[in-house]
Amino acid sequence: MKLRVLSGALMLGLLSTHSINAASIYAGQARAAAVCSQCHGIKTPSADAPFPPLAGRDFAYLKLALEQYRDKTRKNDLMNAIAGSLSDDDIANVAAYYAGLKP
Amino acid sequence: MKTTKKLLSTSVITSLTALLLPLSAPAKADDAQKMHKLYEENCASCHGSDHGGFIAPGLNSESLKGRSPTALRSIIMTGSFDTLMPPFYGRLSDDEIRGLVKHLQTTPKMANPAWTIDDIKASIKVYVKDESTLPDKPTYQIDDINNIIGVAARGKYGRGSGSKAVFINSVTHKQIGEVATGTAAHIIDYDPANPRWAYVKNDTAEIFKVDLYSMQIVRSVKTGFNGPGLGVSRDGKYIMAGSYVPHNAVILDAKTLEPLKTFELEGIDPDGKMVSSDSGMIIGTPFADIFAIALENAGQVWVVDLKEGFPVTKIENVGRHLHDAFLSHGGSKLMVASYVDSIVTAIDLKERKIIKKLEAGCVPHVGGGSVVEVDGRTLGFGTNFGDCDKMVVSVWDLDKMEVVKQVPVSGGTESPAAHANAPYVAVDIISKDRRARTVQLIDKKSLEVVKTLDVGGHAYFPEYSADGKFLYISAGYSGDEVVVYDSTSLEKIASIAMESPAGIFSHGRVKYMTRGLSPDEMKGAK
Repeated sequence: MKLRVLSGALMLGLLSTHSINAASIYAGQARAAAVCSQCHGIKTPSADAPFPPLAGRDFAYLKLALEQYRDKTRKNDLMNAIAGSLSDDDIANVAAYYAGLKP
Repeated sequence: MKTTKKLLSTSVITSLTALLLPLSAPAKADDAQKMHKLYEENCASCHGSDHGGFIAPGLNSESLKGRSPTALRSIIMTGSFDTLMPPFYGRLSDDEIRGLVKHLQTTPKMANPAWTIDDIKASIKVYVKDESTLPDKPTYQIDDINNIIGVAARGKYGRGSGSKAVFINSVTHKQIGEVATGTAAHIIDYDPANPRWAYVKNDTAEIFKVDLYSMQIVRSVKTGFNGPGLGVSRDGKYIMAGSYVPHNAVILDAKTLEPLKTFELEGIDPDGKMVSSDSGMIIGTPFADIFAIALENAGQVWVVDLKEGFPVTKIENVGRHLHDAFLSHGGSKLMVASYVDSIVTAIDLKERKIIKKLEAGCVPHVGGGSVVEVDGRTLGFGTNFGDCDKMVVSVWDLDKMEVVKQVPVSGGTESPAAHANAPYVAVDIISKDRRARTVQLIDKKSLEVVKTLDVGGHAYFPEYSADGKFLYISAGYSGDEVVVYDSTSLEKIASIAMESPAGIFSHGRVKYMTRGLSPDEMKGAK
């Protein structure tokens, strides 16, 4: 019983670092404002920009995309360089921030 | 035999060279031409048509000497964070970016390129031939035309579909119109005599005459290559524009935009050197039928009389590297910022002479300036870039012409906003870190910072609505919105989305001349 509770808590703990609820949208906002928005904007990129908008996109998709860019399983020179230094928390925070914005 | 062989080989080489030369030489010239075109179409509106810099640094063989081509290439690709420099990744190919870097590192700053009165004349475009067909009142609901606020939206790339002047009703905070400006809109000025006309100048020195009633461009003219200088005369009959490239200014007929006279900007600077000069601020004043223009490098202010021949009175030795200015005392006194001396020079436009030079913090950039009447005193507020460790906003008594206080603020500042009915003078903090997101509010009476607003983006160019009830601030760079606050409670009440908004210009400015003064003071002065 004790073990189950413990493992349950562990599981929860593990999950939480990857769930939208546990991510800090404040930390995500700071990162987005300082880095991502340079190309993607906050709510919307420039009409003339060749970059996709991120606001309101699915959390799981944004998170996966960033992880793939970081791990170079998805190739793009610029994104591989930018995502290369992101931690799991950074990725979750940024994804949660953009997912929560209304485009 | 030996000789023959030698002759033969020489002739082969000669013929080969003859064959190759006409091919290779133009190919190289083509390349340079192509790179020059790329530069003009992507970089010049900010970095200067002459490669000498404008709102962004000069890019030439001298300024980029010793810089790593790889580092330059990555700046072009990703843009420069915390500045207006956008990422060109995906817009320019890798070959183009490499070519540009090479081109920039080998191209010297160009000599002052010519743009003559004939060029100006030939550049006029007429969009509405017969102005009598325009509506005689606004085609949208607005109680008072002074409630219009114009925002210079730069657009992410300083050009393209995001570059426009956006007009907002500052009572409803809803957009009522916009006009496309091709490259970044920089300055919006209003006709003080006829409420329907606005003049918008972009970063490639084109001026658009805008009909505010129907929200459309009526005419346009290109007055140079770069330079923000623009003023409208008190009777609305003339406009004057000045350029960084080339070094000239021009007076135009406000009705037709026909150029009437050009001025070569040159003169003896305060160190006794004859210099060719960029045009700084140009200002019309309710005080007289004149324009005042600052010659940045020559350190002179010229007063141009709006009469036959447009004669010029030159006021010398105003300061080293002049930039912007604001008016007080019914428009008879002009406060001019001097970057290098870190002073603001007070000029009497009646006597056409210097009254006094006042301390102004560090690299003063006064924006539109602010003047408020507090407890019987006329106080001027001046912002400054604060590149040294002196981060202050200067407050001067404009009657006695003395420094009242240097108010400590959290960073460099660029533009103060005030209004007779609002309790605070707002200043934009521009230091390149998180502080750039903020605007600080100085209490008019205590002359101390009482509140810091976290606006977002690179927050700059605060402006009050004509009634003083609302404070508009551009969340520029990647903020991409104009944020509206209640000027007393400082609660955020609206947001208007646009690309890289910069300068904000209330139509109310024609009523109170300098922001912070009441229209009554203006009447009293006349």
